[in-house]
Amino acid sequence: MTTTPFKDRPRIDAFDKVRGATAYAADIPVPGMLYAMLVPSVVAKGRIATLQVEDAINVPGVVRILTPDDFPPPPEPVRFPNADAPPTLHRDIAFRGQPIALVVAETLEAATEGAERVAATFETQPFAATKRSALAVREEARPTAFGDAGAALAQATMTVDVEYESPAQHHNPIELISTTAVWADGRLTIYEGTQFASGIKEVVARILRIDPGIVDVKSPSVGGAFGQKGWVQQQTAIIARAAMLLGRPVKLVTPRGQIFHLAKFRPNSTHHIKLGADAAGKMTGVHYVADQQQSRRGTFPPDYHAGPTRLYGIRNYYGGGLDYRIDTQPPGHMRAPHEHPACFAFECAVDELAYSLGADPVDFRIANDTRVDPQNGRPLSSRHLNECLSRGAQRFGWSKRTPKPGSMRAADGSLVGWGVASGIYPALVTATVATLRISADGTTRFTTTHHEFGQGIKTAIGAVLLDGLEIDAAKLDIVLGDTTAAPQQITAGSWGTFSVVPTAALAVERMRAAISELLAGRQVSGAIHQQLAAIRRPFLTVEVSLLGPGQDAAALERLRRGQYAVAGPTFPDFTAMSYIAHFVEVQVESTTRRIRMPRVVSVADCGRVVSPRTAVSQVRGGVVWAFGAALREVTEVDPRFGGFLNNDLADYVVPVNADIGEIDVDFIGEPDPVANSVGVKGLGEVAMVGASAAIVNAIFHATGKRLRELPVRIEHLL
Amino acid sequence: MRPFTYIRPATPQEAVGAFAEAGEGARFIAGGTTLYDLMKLTIERPAHLIDVTAVRGLDRIEMDGDRLRFGANAAMSAVAGDPTIGRDYPVLSEALWKAASQQLRNMATVGGNLLQRTRCMYFRNGGGGIYPCNKREPGSGCAAIGGLDRGQAVLGTSEACTAVSPGDWPVALVAMDASIEVLGPAGSRSLPVGDLYRLPGDTPHLEFTLGPGEMITAITVPKTPAGRLSTYHKIRDRESYAFALTSAAVALEMSGDRVEGARIALGGVATRPWRASEAEEVLIGHLLTPELALAAGQAAFRDARPGRHNSFKTELGARTITDALIIAAGRGRT
Repeated sequence: MTTTPFKDRPRIDAFDKVRGATAYAADIPVPGMLYAMLVPSVVAKGRIATLQVEDAINVPGVVRILTPDDFPPPPEPVRFPNADAPPTLHRDIAFRGQPIALVVAETLEAATEGAERVAATFETQPFAATKRSALAVREEARPTAFGDAGAALAQATMTVDVEYESPAQHHNPIELISTTAVWADGRLTIYEGTQFASGIKEVVARILRIDPGIVDVKSPSVGGAFGQKGWVQQQTAIIARAAMLLGRPVKLVTPRGQIFHLAKFRPNSTHHIKLGADAAGKMTGVHYVADQQQSRRGTFPPDYHAGPTRLYGIRNYYGGGLDYRIDTQPPGHMRAPHEHPACFAFECAVDELAYSLGADPVDFRIANDTRVDPQNGRPLSSRHLNECLSRGAQRFGWSKRTPKPGSMRAADGSLVGWGVASGIYPALVTATVATLRISADGTTRFTTTHHEFGQGIKTAIGAVLLDGLEIDAAKLDIVLGDTTAAPQQITAGSWGTFSVVPTAALAVERMRAAISELLAGRQVSGAIHQQLAAIRRPFLTVEVSLLGPGQDAAALERLRRGQYAVAGPTFPDFTAMSYIAHFVEVQVESTTRRIRMPRVVSVADCGRVVSPRTAVSQVRGGVVWAFGAALREVTEVDPRFGGFLNNDLADYVVPVNADIGEIDVDFIGEPDPVANSVGVKGLGEVAMVGASAAIVNAIFHATGKRLRELPVRIEHLL
Repeated sequence: MRPFTYIRPATPQEAVGAFAEAGEGARFIAGGTTLYDLMKLTIERPAHLIDVTAVRGLDRIEMDGDRLRFGANAAMSAVAGDPTIGRDYPVLSEALWKAASQQLRNMATVGGNLLQRTRCMYFRNGGGGIYPCNKREPGSGCAAIGGLDRGQAVLGTSEACTAVSPGDWPVALVAMDASIEVLGPAGSRSLPVGDLYRLPGDTPHLEFTLGPGEMITAITVPKTPAGRLSTYHKIRDRESYAFALTSAAVALEMSGDRVEGARIALGGVATRPWRASEAEEVLIGHLLTPELALAAGQAAFRDARPGRHNSFKTELGARTITDALIIAAGRGRT
């Protein structure tokens, strides 16, 4: 494996983005477009008694109103992961905000007015709005255990027994949720910002009882994915059905307020952690049980404890999960879906334990390193967490820290706190296919599995192609997220780079071999385009497919059928994880107690860094999101009414630029020697993991207050 | 969105005439930064919009004589960015700078800003009538009382409503004893800014004292040396682009370290822009110390009636006043 660092390159789509030229799904112009608006349920549970649409249909411009009568019965559930068919329109109401009708009109204004004029009455039923509601149903998930956590904790010199709370939080990318469906010439084409174009193709076909072979899905560029757009969303089949019934293209862009009830969200979770260490400062046992809010039929697992099992060399472990089933829309993935809340809780508990032992929080973590996967004893493909911690400590100036809480002050009298925490995320991979075509006319086209949503996957692929092949960079077209170009796989879980960068490297290798064979020893100067022209070949194509370690042809078949084809982090011969260490300074005002975060140092071990610029960007974004999760964001439920109350960008408080100080990012950069040919692991998720804990640990260092519920707000420090 | 008529008169008299002619369901609109928002939420459903942004001469900033005069159509950003205001009346400038975003400040007018409606989440979640709200539907009840009331008022509340008056600019104006000029069907009149706002009482749907068809044409602020020793201190859930949890507009007249005159008004904590005369009285004639400043802050909240989640506002509000007093007094020691 070559280990030369990749050079810094500009983002491949930067010029388009700054000019506003990047086309998102809702920007695709289609002639004859109709506009749609959903009608949300105002009750939290029950059944539609009457649905009056006459007033709405009389609004000038309204073309049709779809109701539950316009949909086939739901399909049989399927067994493979990631393939649940979301409901379409139903008479039974499972949560407030559930769509009960769709108004389609010639203009957005008419659709909006029509939706306001649809009148429904409901037979209501009692509902559970939160985990603590009387009607919440408790359901235990299968625990994970190794060693003997009970015995280890009983023998520990020092233990902490603490509970942490992470609130419900909602994705709020600027790109609203949208679907455009076109039914023409016997084919259904769906334009949607999604992380899983082939998933939509298969699942929408199943819901509407049509052949997936006639469905094409295009996700040209996604404006913020992070799990919100990983599953097939609720509106997609509804809009597709409208387009098929009307024979005209239909577009829905949901208002911001509706997203809070239509989209997946991070569920409220509670983390009860008992953690013990021996006199030498070795962590010996952990008992970790997390519970979360869950919808009545949701499948997002409560397995929060899984990540921290591999963070340190703890040999005795019990991890359990619980669902509280209530009447909400299904919760789901939101950046570092389990690892962020888990490492917030766990890494705060580690800090509490280090303080109890009188140990430095950095040294304490370093002393608890592991070389093997504690779950199964397999070797780790690569692990540089200790280097992340020591390099981060040095960059941050950790040695100047005085450990006593409240002992450091800024010039203006603010309390200063320095906190640290680690993060971990599995290195995962999917099967991929790719086609690389280089033409004599100067163009290059690379089509492959996976999606671009700003994380920089095209830039990473481009780096490999441009490093390995002499081609015209300006005429390089990388096509992603398009089922007509390549079978698509869900792009999530930080597996994009691991999956597709080695595929690009393989395509480069094959292309070089093919060119060399064609030239048959002739010396032709210039780029590949000129070489092809010289030997009168209009173009040259190579097709490749690639599996992750341990995957077989069945994974490729699942990929081709739009099914889940993901492997890791436990591979046949090793376990692969990415790591990060975050160092945070907070300043807490002495009077009104505003919390500021002037600086952060984050050092990540994600294997080899393919695209330095977008990688730094990923980490900064992760830290910003962790700041939001720790100090700003919560979706609030009034249990008397159900649903989410603060459903706009004024009241769902995300960070603003003025909130964010300097974020200094560094990478270990050591290629992973075994995971794949390029030496990459994953970065997008681990970037966020642990940063919230570092912030809360810093607040403790500043104030002496252990705050165990997020978000931490000004009133908690008064 | 419901259809509505739309006209753009060119003079104040035409605007007032057009309003009278339009009859039921007429609304003046200036920057549109509140009204359009509320129309999308189906809380406002005007049948006729009378756009006053084309009215000539209504955007002047004048400083002759013994008062400042801001035409109602002056953009928030224009007044905020005026160097004389920034130097001699930082309380006015800061109240505008710390509100909204640059884009909104470029659109919103200083007159329209006075009529901004509450951000109470239960009020704004109007569509579909899920949450009862006496402001939206008189007599339907108040979901905020006994609900998620972290953002609600602790001063000036009633059994019918605890919604916060959301503005920053009106708070600064109330501190500075400003007045508004109003033109209506019966001619023009002027009134103190403070008198524009009603307490909710048992009629929280009645928010302003303007009569039907009356339009704010200007804001006047008496000139005072206290303007120099002034500040608008705003504490919120993030560093910018958020409404106040607590805010204090403070202007002082000092003789050395002794307070000769004090004007204090509060935002984020009350159902209308709140003049805190109890706090002012604590200060007058005394040396300004951090202890006295805190005592003044606490006096302002003596009659506070917190709900379930907003009791922190009394302590935070008192400390906000304390800091504001120290900042304002510090401007005399250059």
